[in-house]
Amino acid sequence: MSGAPLLEIDAITKTFGGVVAVKDCSMTIREGTVVGLIGPNGAGKSSVIDLVSGFERPDSGSVRFNSVEVIGKRPDVISRMGLIRTFQTPREWRDLSVIDNVRVGKSELRRESLWRSLASARRLRHLEEGENEEISALMTKYRLDEVRNHRAVGLSGGQKRLLEFARIAAAKPRLTILDEPMGGVNPVLGERIGQAIRDLRTAGSTVVVVEHNLPFIERTCDEVVVMDLGTVIAQGPFDQLRDNKRVVDAYLGNDDE
Amino acid sequence: MLQYWTAILTEASIFAILALGIDMIWGWAGDFDLSAYAYFALGVYMTMVLTIGKAKSPVEYVLGWHLPYLLAIAVAVVVVIAFASIIGAIALRSLREVYFSITTFGAVWAIYYFVENYTPLFNGYNGVYGLFDPMGYGMSYAAYHYVFLAFCAVTLFGVYLLVQRLSRSPFGRMVRAVRDDEKAASVYGRNVFGTKYRTYLFGAALAGLAGGLFAAYIGAFSPLDWKPTEIFVLYAAILVGGRGNPKGVVLGSFIVYVGFVEMTRYIPSPAARPELGPALRQILIGVLIIVMLRFRPSGIIPERLGTDGTEGRRSWRYLFARSSAPPTSVLAWHEARPSMETVVPAEPRPEAGT
Repeated sequence: MSGAPLLEIDAITKTFGGVVAVKDCSMTIREGTVVGLIGPNGAGKSSVIDLVSGFERPDSGSVRFNSVEVIGKRPDVISRMGLIRTFQTPREWRDLSVIDNVRVGKSELRRESLWRSLASARRLRHLEEGENEEISALMTKYRLDEVRNHRAVGLSGGQKRLLEFARIAAAKPRLTILDEPMGGVNPVLGERIGQAIRDLRTAGSTVVVVEHNLPFIERTCDEVVVMDLGTVIAQGPFDQLRDNKRVVDAYLGNDDE
Repeated sequence: MLQYWTAILTEASIFAILALGIDMIWGWAGDFDLSAYAYFALGVYMTMVLTIGKAKSPVEYVLGWHLPYLLAIAVAVVVVIAFASIIGAIALRSLREVYFSITTFGAVWAIYYFVENYTPLFNGYNGVYGLFDPMGYGMSYAAYHYVFLAFCAVTLFGVYLLVQRLSRSPFGRMVRAVRDDEKAASVYGRNVFGTKYRTYLFGAALAGLAGGLFAAYIGAFSPLDWKPTEIFVLYAAILVGGRGNPKGVVLGSFIVYVGFVEMTRYIPSPAARPELGPALRQILIGVLIIVMLRFRPSGIIPERLGTDGTEGRRSWRYLFARSSAPPTSVLAWHEARPSMETVVPAEPRPEAGT
């Protein structure tokens, strides 16, 4: 189950104007696992994601992705190393068609160079046409077939969630960090998202899921990291954490009573 | 009359090139830039001072070379790109939306008053002149105008093909993705600033090119001949034609320049109020913008949606199909949207969680 460490977070601290959001937080995500990141509101989960993905810079500590230090790197640079994250609300490219949203996920950066786009337009078109089969398979898989030629802005909330997964699947990242993928999602679609997460792992991606829906976490994840007050208070399989008093006090307590 | 039309079409072709440049910055990249007219003006000034030779006192300006016209345009475009790279670097680094616009607006006015008041640069308020017949080589006056119209039209066509190719390329798609959501774009490895910056410089280069053509068209250029606010006429053209669609932008430029700016010249002004005609023209352009935004916000030919080709949407059809809404109309497609059942078909529910 546990491969080599893929993401190593070492003692990061981040304060926002006097408020300590993340404090001396350390955790290790191993390759090939699906890890749930849980904790009460304000525990610092989303801050940790922002720090790891380059949207914020920690005051101290280090984050190594695939053994390379990422602190100080821009989000797009970190992304090109193989890390893709989502946000609490789906962020589709609204005026692009659904299929183009997925194509951008699939496309490589050097294909988008201004000069190549001008000089070898035909070659690029052939290249993209060659990917049509893969793209339409993704469309079918994520139930976006009927809307694939529509503007993404018109999708329903659930479809936007699925589009997010189709985009990630097209991009084939090494590590995917999902920030509350189940927010505002009905149970049936929720199961589809659970399947999408397992599929990501099958495709070779390591997955970190931030989620409040604990039954979902239990079903989907191999391992759980619990955060409270900006730091990690426990890490391990879900079953073991039930008996951990700190975890129960911080979070699960509400559930058991 | 024929000469009059030749002049109008020449002018419209030149401004269509400028509009294509502005549309790249605003339509594709989403940055409402207000300094593009400065790049246009700089293109005009540079082309002038590179071709008309040494200044004779009391006229003064920089350079004063005698380059061939086409080479001068090329040099002018390079200068414009260098200049835009400074303004772009400042304005695009972290400013967006209205803050970006205000910054560029401040820049263009600063440039305008600098050019007007610092005489050694481009002869200040009186401007530079003397670029006549740069390609005519002794052709007759009338014949030269036709040749120059053809030259502008061919240039416009070439620029259109270039921009259209770019628009449909992976590059154009990526620029629009950055426009629609910068955070998501950077999550998928796109350099937001770099993308916007490159698009900005390309658009500025087109503005400089349009300026190079305009220099030969107008022959003399001073701060009386341009005002930073004239850019809104170009935004009107882009809105009418279709923001983000090169075909629409060219169409919109011709509609606004030929249809509105020039046709309204025929509106009679009473002898006592000669300013009425031009004022009315401004009002009409304002009305045009409002009407378009109300009834067809995405323009006559809306931005092309990248499809897989199965639906065969041709933007031309929307020109004539009055009943069918353009694909941008969110309302129209909400009705056609599949229901939740088609998205998540009923199937046995999975085992309940704990």
